[in-house]
Amino acid sequence: MLATIVLFSCNDRRHPGRIYMPDMTYSRAYEANAPNDLAAKGINYLPFPVPGTIRRGDLFPYTLSNDSNGYKLAIDIKDPLPPLDSVGLNEAHRLFNINCAICHGPNLDAQGPLAGKVGGIANLKMPQYVKEPEGQMFHVVTYGKNNMGSYASQLDRRQRWMVIQFIKSEQAKISAPKDSVAAGSGTTKDSTMAKK
Amino acid sequence: MSTIHNSVLVMHYYRRFIVRTITYITFLLLFFFQNFLYAQNGEQIFKANCATCHKPDKDFTGPALAHARDREPTKEWAYKWVNHVDEMITTDPYAKQLFAKFNSKMTQFSDLKKEDIKAVLDWADSYTPPAAPGGAVKGGEAAPEDNSLLYGLLTLVLAVVALILLQVNSNLKKLSDEKQGIRTPNPVPFYRNKAYLLLAVIVVFLIGGYFTIEGAVGLGRMKGYQPIQPIYYSHKVHAGTNQISCLYCHGGAQDSKHANIPSVNVCMNCHMAIKEYTGEPVTTDEGISINGTAEIQKLYQYSGWNPTSKTYDHPGKPIEWVRIHNLPDHVYFNHSQHVKVGQQQCQTCHGPIQEMGQVKQFAELSMGWCINCHRETKVQFNDDKGNGNKFYSIYEKFHEDIKNKKYDSVTVEKIGGTECQKCHY
Repeated sequence: MLATIVLFSCNDRRHPGRIYMPDMTYSRAYEANAPNDLAAKGINYLPFPVPGTIRRGDLFPYTLSNDSNGYKLAIDIKDPLPPLDSVGLNEAHRLFNINCAICHGPNLDAQGPLAGKVGGIANLKMPQYVKEPEGQMFHVVTYGKNNMGSYASQLDRRQRWMVIQFIKSEQAKISAPKDSVAAGSGTTKDSTMAKK
Repeated sequence: MSTIHNSVLVMHYYRRFIVRTITYITFLLLFFFQNFLYAQNGEQIFKANCATCHKPDKDFTGPALAHARDREPTKEWAYKWVNHVDEMITTDPYAKQLFAKFNSKMTQFSDLKKEDIKAVLDWADSYTPPAAPGGAVKGGEAAPEDNSLLYGLLTLVLAVVALILLQVNSNLKKLSDEKQGIRTPNPVPFYRNKAYLLLAVIVVFLIGGYFTIEGAVGLGRMKGYQPIQPIYYSHKVHAGTNQISCLYCHGGAQDSKHANIPSVNVCMNCHMAIKEYTGEPVTTDEGISINGTAEIQKLYQYSGWNPTSKTYDHPGKPIEWVRIHNLPDHVYFNHSQHVKVGQQQCQTCHGPIQEMGQVKQFAELSMGWCINCHRETKVQFNDDKGNGNKFYSIYEKFHEDIKNKKYDSVTVEKIGGTECQKCHY
């Protein structure tokens, strides 16, 4: 009877309830996303990778700085990935839908669910974004610009380039059939800008 | 004769009247329709070009468009500005003033004609905001009443009445027996009646046993656990109303064992721009109303962001969210294996998270619950189109068996999903 009362008394939704054997339930090892006292104990612990190291199989780090000069220099940065096959493009499309489409819209027209709440969303179908060099796009995705934040923590370098390839392939679809002349003038403009 | 002539005249008169009315109405309709078309046009141009930075009725990234022409130096200023932003931003005093206020330069729209700009501004001047989504409707819904307590009480009362009636009946019987001269042995009081006592013991044993077992089964299960979090973060607003993908914030779920708790910089991706909550009123389950804008202010405290100066000007600290889902340490669970390989929806285990204001544990997370899903879930093998997962290509035998109609599908159990060592090692 006493056991019944004890067992039944902890039925409050604000409390996690009781368990049989706490030492088998709660981890003795440090868990992810939980605070730890290793630094306070003087134990050598690095929350970040060692500076200068690259994860196996990862792309080389992006070294341009987050300022207007870096943005200017980013014009010359080229996509290190080979062109994506259809499976890669599908994956890039999926990443775009998760991370970008909430603002830039599934059709790249800045009509995502957050349009009207976040200001100054780039309409990626506009000529200046169709012409935007891929390196500058990478710079913006890496560091953010105006109201856009940095996506470096959500997309790794390879994924960022994949998403940019996807955007460029979608932009090619809208600009190509209309006027091939405009696209031609765009490339000449880019090359002159690169010369500066 | 004269009457016929008269009626013809009257008919003629009516016909003229009707024709004239129809013409008037047609003209009126045409007039309105034209106006309507014009307004639509303005709205369309606005949505295609301006809406990302301007709102018709209030300041956004750029100034409100309604009555912009009245504020500007001349009525014609706006038309020139839209086509010559790059030039005027450095020369025009009013443009410089605007730039100082909003701190962002407008994109130049060289292609927009004066009529287009006029249509947009006319539309903005006559814009009336749509009525706020019904706030009064919310919170008025009472939860369906739980009647089981009422029924229990009723049963108890009826049982007591029945007992009293039985007692009365036996007393009356005794009286009538005495009157007729039949002698009966002295009755045993009900609290010493063995049958009653046995019944009472059995009832107490059953009820006690039921609750003991229920309580023991519930030990270590936290279904329905809904702690109070440091910030009232509503999944209903974010994942429901605003349709943000679960993986936007919890991207770790597809890459690692853990569905990571997003760091504050992920929140700030949107909340650099979204400073106030303007959606439907939010109330907790207890009916306490939540001020969304104040909750966003809390986020700014944690992140160190100053929304006025738009810089991080004080040291930030992590938000200490309270963990809800906790498997015992002797169970191995990997998110990526379920999300990426098994292609499960988050909602399968976490419930209708896009409808939860405060998150609570939806599933039991008991071993029986896990095993049951592993018995029922069908494995999505790699198909000819490259969908599904290639990880399972080692189970060629099953493909053959399916082709030979031995099975129609393969459950997780058949590929070892109920082996003890899969989760306990």
